[in-house]
Amino acid sequence: MSMPQLAIEPWGNYSLALAASVECLHVRPWTHTCTTPEILKLGVEASPEFSCLSFKVTTGHFIKAAMEGVEYGVMVNSQGPCRLRYYRMLQQKLLKERGFNLFIFGLGYDGIKPPLIRHFNPTMNDFLRCCFRARLKVVTIDELETAAWTKRAVELRAGDTTRAMNACIKDLDQARTVPEIKAFRKTIPARFNQISVDVNRRPLKVALLGEATILRNSFLNQNLEEILGGLGVEVRNFFLLGEEMRNIFNIGTGSKYGWKAMRKLAKPYLGTPVGGHALASVAHTLRCAQDGYDGVIHVAPAGCMPEISVRPILRKISQDKDIPVFECSFDEHTSQVGLVTRLEAFVDVLYDRKTKKEL
Amino acid sequence: MKTTGYLGLDVGSISTNLVVMNPQNEVLFETYSRVGGNPISSVQQALLNAQAALGEDIQIAGVCTTGSGRNLIGAVVGADVIKNEISTHARAAIHLHPDVQTIFEIGGQDSKVTLVRDGVVVDFAMNLVCAAGTGSFLDSQAIRLGITVPDLSAKAVLSTAPTSIAGRCTVFAESDMIHKQQTGHRQEDILMGLCHAMVRNFLSNVCAGKEIRAPIVLQGGVSANLGIRRAFSEILKIEPVIPKHHMVMGAYGAALIASKAGIKQTRFRGYELCVRTILTQSFGCTDCPNLCEVVEILDAGQLISRSGGRCRKWDGDMTPRQ
Repeated sequence: MSMPQLAIEPWGNYSLALAASVECLHVRPWTHTCTTPEILKLGVEASPEFSCLSFKVTTGHFIKAAMEGVEYGVMVNSQGPCRLRYYRMLQQKLLKERGFNLFIFGLGYDGIKPPLIRHFNPTMNDFLRCCFRARLKVVTIDELETAAWTKRAVELRAGDTTRAMNACIKDLDQARTVPEIKAFRKTIPARFNQISVDVNRRPLKVALLGEATILRNSFLNQNLEEILGGLGVEVRNFFLLGEEMRNIFNIGTGSKYGWKAMRKLAKPYLGTPVGGHALASVAHTLRCAQDGYDGVIHVAPAGCMPEISVRPILRKISQDKDIPVFECSFDEHTSQVGLVTRLEAFVDVLYDRKTKKEL
Repeated sequence: MKTTGYLGLDVGSISTNLVVMNPQNEVLFETYSRVGGNPISSVQQALLNAQAALGEDIQIAGVCTTGSGRNLIGAVVGADVIKNEISTHARAAIHLHPDVQTIFEIGGQDSKVTLVRDGVVVDFAMNLVCAAGTGSFLDSQAIRLGITVPDLSAKAVLSTAPTSIAGRCTVFAESDMIHKQQTGHRQEDILMGLCHAMVRNFLSNVCAGKEIRAPIVLQGGVSANLGIRRAFSEILKIEPVIPKHHMVMGAYGAALIASKAGIKQTRFRGYELCVRTILTQSFGCTDCPNLCEVVEILDAGQLISRSGGRCRKWDGDMTPRQ
């Protein structure tokens, strides 16, 4: 009997880590690191007009997977008021209406074992191996991303960092076992150090925060990180899955980016939970103001309820703490021009501010 | 004797503007022309006009392109600097009016507000997916009424009792205008109502939450419209300042940037490019599922630029394609 296949929703480069983990469950993973125009089209056609981009895209991925004969899928849930928690059920319905037999698991808790694990019922040994491997790959990808953000802002030849990053991601995908991944991890600093950099350039530091699907999917955010890197901006994308996992599993939540610290920090501005990553958006903006970031870019799909709820709060923080906040909403459009113009102008504003402050 | 000139080119959705200035930042030549769907040929025409007006005495020492066509035209003419239109417009306004606090710029498809404090841009906003506050709406209404845009401007200011027109959406504004004309309102009152609606839309959408302080500089193609000027001063109770080069401020700012950029050797490809056939062609790269569109520019059959593609492997790659 052939191995069953499991479709994983796109989480940027982290899709590779998730794919590696499900292999231990004796399941073949089906995933893409970013959305393709074809998948977006499938999703948009199937989805209600007013649903958010995250919904349309994940739906598109499941439809594409079902067309290729995949039997299972896995989709995140969320807690709190974000509509994301119902997406799985709605997507299941949409798939059924179209005559596809793809069952979508959630990642929620019901009882001790999540339904996904209960269904495939791996041995304890396999399950632990799966967890270790996934964790290691996630942490490695965190490290790669961080290295790329720093290098891209100072690279001498445009595109060098992106090329190095793409090569690294390919190699990481090839690394199967824990020792292989560890060996690969050791080579990262050397590989990024090969990129020739301009030592005199002093890049701006800008935070990217907001809704996770958009932050992580370079097709949806129109290559935001690369555009900014090309403008000489060192970004920090505040969705790092390694940190996020610690929060999900309540491990080390005492850290700087843990829930507890964030809730405390955001308290004067946001007392009630509004779902999604809204609390994180508020807390991180405050943190960035403290840590001397030059600016913040708040990213959300058009119509995203949690993120839109906090936008007026971010404007208030921007005034109170004197940190520029740029709001950007993403929809199905594929033209980069409007975004690039606004980003260039925003970066110009930040440079002028910085020069003026230093005088 | 040869003198140096700096060239600013603003290639927008509706118009192509060109400014040549000397190192003392005095304008030697300026032109505003409609793109008419082909930015390359309109730039070639504008450059020919500049060459004819300036003669051989002016040596171009630096080029800066701006506007939504800045990258394409930058590659075609050989730009030293490529700058976004928000920054060039602000640069021009601050240069001509150093005390400016707010800049309104209304062009063909864009409308933007820029806040300036102490001569530095601190905030800006640009219209999103709505054309209700931009020049193309005025254009389409002028065409519908069978008048020219200058006529529209001249007629609107004659109005003594402007009608009220809903300005949230161009489609509904148009049905409102038709309703007013069927109930027998005078054309100038309807046109002035339209100008009011456009300005209200601009102020409530683009300027939402922004602190508007005087002096206000109004620029961009639409700033030539007397009805719009009147609507701004009536609604805001502040008379907007119309700068000297209000129609070509983007190009003016670009020329200014070129003159200050410290360019040693310009990449300008010369006026000869105006008489050659420059074509663009694109192909879909099929190396990965992204299927990016890569654009090539051919100057008299020779490849001069290749760009596009998310992995950036095509950028600057001039080797012939299989």
